[in-house]
Amino acid sequence: MDSSPTGNVRETGSPATPPARPTPPARPARRAALPLAGFNGRMMAPGLLLLAAVSLLPLAAVIAMSFARVHLLGGLRLEGVGAENWARLFTDPDMAWAWVRTAVYFVLTVGGEMALGTALAVCLWRLRRGRNAALSLLLLPMFVAPVIVGLLGRFLTDSTFGLYTWLLRQLGYNGDVMADQTSAFAAVTLMDIWEWTPLVALIALAGLTTVPSSALEAASLDGAGLPRTLRHIVLPSIAPVLLVALLIRSMDALRYFDIIWNTTGGGPANATKTASVQLYETAFRFFDFGYAAVTGLLMLAVTTVVARYFVRLLERKEPAR
Amino acid sequence: MSSRLSAGPPKPAMSRRALLRGAAAAGSAGVLAGCAGRPDAHLDADAAPWKRYAGTTLNFISENTAPTAAIAADLRPFTELTGIRVNIVTLELSALAQKVALDFASGNGEYDVVYADPYLVLAPYAAAFADLREFQEDPALPRLPGGFGDFIPAHLDTAGRFGDSGKVLALPYDCPTMVWQYRADLFEEYGERMADDLGFDPTPSDNSTWEQYHAIAKWFNSHAHQVRYGTGHQAKQHDALMCDFSNVLWSYDGSYFADGTRVGRFGTTDPGKCLLRSDAAVAGAEFYDRLLRVADPASRTWDWDGLGAAFRSGRIAMCPNWHEYAAANETALPGKVGYARLPKGPARSAGMYGGTGIAVSNVVSARRRRAAWLFANWATAPKTQVSNLASKVGGGTPTRASVYAVPRVVEAEQRPSKMPNMLTAEAVKAAWKDANLGLRPKIPMWGECDTAIYTELSRMFAGEVSPGGAMRAAADRIDRITARGWVN
Amino acid sequence: MTAVTPARAAVPGRAATPARTAAGGPPQRGSRASRTVVRVLVAAALVWTLVPLGWMLLSSFKPTASVTASTPDLWFAPTLQNYRGLFSGANNLWPYLQNSVLAAGLSALLATALGALAGYGLARTRMRGKQHLSFWVVSTRMAPIAAVVLPIFLIFRFLGLIDTLPGLVLAYLSFNLPFAIWLLSAFFSELPPSLEESAQVAGCGHWQAFRHVVLPLTRPGLVTTFVLCLVFSWNDYAFALVLGGPHTQTLPIAASQLVTQTGIDWGQLTAIGTLVVVPMMLVGLAVRRWLVTGLTMGAVTGE
Repeated sequence: MDSSPTGNVRETGSPATPPARPTPPARPARRAALPLAGFNGRMMAPGLLLLAAVSLLPLAAVIAMSFARVHLLGGLRLEGVGAENWARLFTDPDMAWAWVRTAVYFVLTVGGEMALGTALAVCLWRLRRGRNAALSLLLLPMFVAPVIVGLLGRFLTDSTFGLYTWLLRQLGYNGDVMADQTSAFAAVTLMDIWEWTPLVALIALAGLTTVPSSALEAASLDGAGLPRTLRHIVLPSIAPVLLVALLIRSMDALRYFDIIWNTTGGGPANATKTASVQLYETAFRFFDFGYAAVTGLLMLAVTTVVARYFVRLLERKEPAR
Repeated sequence: MSSRLSAGPPKPAMSRRALLRGAAAAGSAGVLAGCAGRPDAHLDADAAPWKRYAGTTLNFISENTAPTAAIAADLRPFTELTGIRVNIVTLELSALAQKVALDFASGNGEYDVVYADPYLVLAPYAAAFADLREFQEDPALPRLPGGFGDFIPAHLDTAGRFGDSGKVLALPYDCPTMVWQYRADLFEEYGERMADDLGFDPTPSDNSTWEQYHAIAKWFNSHAHQVRYGTGHQAKQHDALMCDFSNVLWSYDGSYFADGTRVGRFGTTDPGKCLLRSDAAVAGAEFYDRLLRVADPASRTWDWDGLGAAFRSGRIAMCPNWHEYAAANETALPGKVGYARLPKGPARSAGMYGGTGIAVSNVVSARRRRAAWLFANWATAPKTQVSNLASKVGGGTPTRASVYAVPRVVEAEQRPSKMPNMLTAEAVKAAWKDANLGLRPKIPMWGECDTAIYTELSRMFAGEVSPGGAMRAAADRIDRITARGWVN
Repeated sequence: MTAVTPARAAVPGRAATPARTAAGGPPQRGSRASRTVVRVLVAAALVWTLVPLGWMLLSSFKPTASVTASTPDLWFAPTLQNYRGLFSGANNLWPYLQNSVLAAGLSALLATALGALAGYGLARTRMRGKQHLSFWVVSTRMAPIAAVVLPIFLIFRFLGLIDTLPGLVLAYLSFNLPFAIWLLSAFFSELPPSLEESAQVAGCGHWQAFRHVVLPLTRPGLVTTFVLCLVFSWNDYAFALVLGGPHTQTLPIAASQLVTQTGIDWGQLTAIGTLVVVPMMLVGLAVRRWLVTGLTMGAVTGE
């Protein structure tokens, strides 16, 4: 991780004229061989060191906990149990199912948000009048706290006084949304989509406004219809921006569970018990922090792999532009 | 890891006794650590017992329950009495359990007084609470008015003790109990027709059985236009489902573990093998499944709160629910709701008692503990309980026998009542008799066992498993959980 | 300087129509049918988006009995009792509001500031393993909270940060900082290095070039970053629950406190929901045009 020996011109000029820096670097490093040396290094130092402090130490502790039985009373104490917690992972049928549901939930929510968000952005982009007002209103859900989205979802689907329950009944659906496994799962998925589609739409719209108009003119002169224009000109040029949206959503989609926790609590019949709900239960209902650490690390690993894949795609797209 | 974080008893404590010794050591270590971070309690040794700790500020962490709402709304009497200020943090139960666990993990306590849910807090962390007998016997401290003996015995044992050490770790603070709540107006209107059709007197009484409850519910489904369904239940995949099912399980002579008194009333870390595979338990589950088939289908989305709201909205004619909903019922359906002990099964009637006590943390300094005792003492005193009953913001119901004899309170058992929760007095007093008491296992790993039970029941409603299959699957899981043991 | 002009012009609907079409508005021709379809779809999206929020707002002004009426109650005598209940008696929401504003605001500000520095450094550095470093930055945001909360709690307790505002600010930085660094470094790396180089030729120091040339150009990016960080920390529940205390309760905590053992006061809950949502909406709407520009910028200049 040391900086490249060839360095560069811009980096060597700075140390001689130290301007008013907001924060001094952690260590006055002059040699270019040290990481975080040079002007760029000093710029990065405060942020990265702080980030390291708030993330690496807890991570190390979680890894230690995953190999231990965690005692809380009288101060935290770790009693080493080897790979016992990890071994349990492979014999735990709940965990396997939780991951299946997580995968489905991830694909449906993030996929739905990407598709609907892009579609919405294209509609807004084609809208001649009232685009601003519409966008302002459509963005609102992303400003709602997830815990409120969960409670609001519960309020709307309550089988006694929920507005949506009443609307569904007018439409001839007399079941109880949260009582059936499929509809409960659909409901929590839709709540997540409700909250996060606007973010994707916003990012996609930002991408759309940069599509070169010359290319669009050319396409319309060729007589290409909207679908073909979208497919061959618009989508390729906003693909990198969409990947950014995808990355932002995938970072959070696996971790957040406020909506599920506040509506179904994982039921009925475990239908909405995703890995993050299970993690929360293991830690704070069962106080089994060793096994929770294992679950947490697994989630981190999966998120990392997924994100890594999207970043690779992004990097592959970047040079093309 | 810093030395502070790893401070604690050096080796795993295997037996309960060793565990307690370790915790005592940890407690004293916590005192030292605690002194560094927080100011100790003020002490004026010459003052009167109630005034000795004037100037101290205590932290009380509580679930957002009715008595806490009433106390939080008016703390003035306590501050005037003692000169102690109290910060109250109210949270919902799972958040409370989370904060308390973390507080203990840090080795020095932030909270002096803790709302100690017997199953999520008291049983797992019994060693972290002070034995209150010590304060009661201390001549320098004010004694409990009426002593420990004034608390209803079932409450003191269940909410206040853990294990057979004889210690009192918490003072009974609230006492929600499951009773049969029914629309008395509808029973009156249809009583004779029902009696003709069904062949028995439907009026809820000590002789009513679950089979009759089932028949009444079914009758209401098709005969009464005021309600959509006869019965509703708290059958969401949630703690509430275990509570609702347990009443039926026990009345069918089923049980979670052998020796229900030892496991339920006093609590243990080693409950033995799970008994849900028994024929009685399976029969209970079969009946419960059958009952849910005639119940409002939305039952599967309700916890106790959703069920309470449904009952108040008038969509169901009856339900088993916590008696503390009486006040809200009386507001929504004035004069129309009756309360009775839950029906009998083949073995007995069982109504779950779900009360909780408030405990004094053992990981704060000795002086703070003594100041905390003043608060616990005051907050459960008969006088406070009477004024809670009349409070506009909350209520709760008394845990002390003497309060149930106060003329004002006795009067409130009949309508018109200024303390509408007292309308349930007869039903709950019947439920608290030893023969009718329903107590879930008080074991430190109950959170996980509870989850196994309500998850399997939820799968049973979904048709994924048969009642017998659900009981066996739950038993298998519980045995695995208890086999891992508990050494926190 | 000129490099950024198209980005400014690309603000959608910024009054001047010619600018919009020039900078990539859609082809304005298109059949009437397709325009109708677009309008219908946008209208449908609006309904889907606004019904829950509108219902929340409406319910917050309803009397208690009307909130949980089994048929939706549209004719009711509006009341402020739910809001009044939140600011009187044992409830007093002011400190919650104050804590939320301070913790979220400071954390977003710090994240943006540190993120700008680090993002710039990361964008310009030529160190080996730069990609790995930047991926590590992103990955720190992915840690599941329930798993890391125990160690974080103990570290904070050790440092005396529990139940303090600096503690909450620091906790929020743990998820805001990676986001800010990542987003801003994307902006900086789209700016041609020649900008600073020419500034340095003109006699500016490295820092001055950053401060006076680069930063102003990334203003939309900075605003976007600040707002998104503000939203994430304002809405946080998990950290505020664990690391907060009697003196540092925030609004989402207050919302969850209304879920009580003896029932949920839906009237007050919808009122608190409205209170949590409205400030963020106002902030978001105030800077909406910056949001779009901010997110657009990289792509425009990279063209």
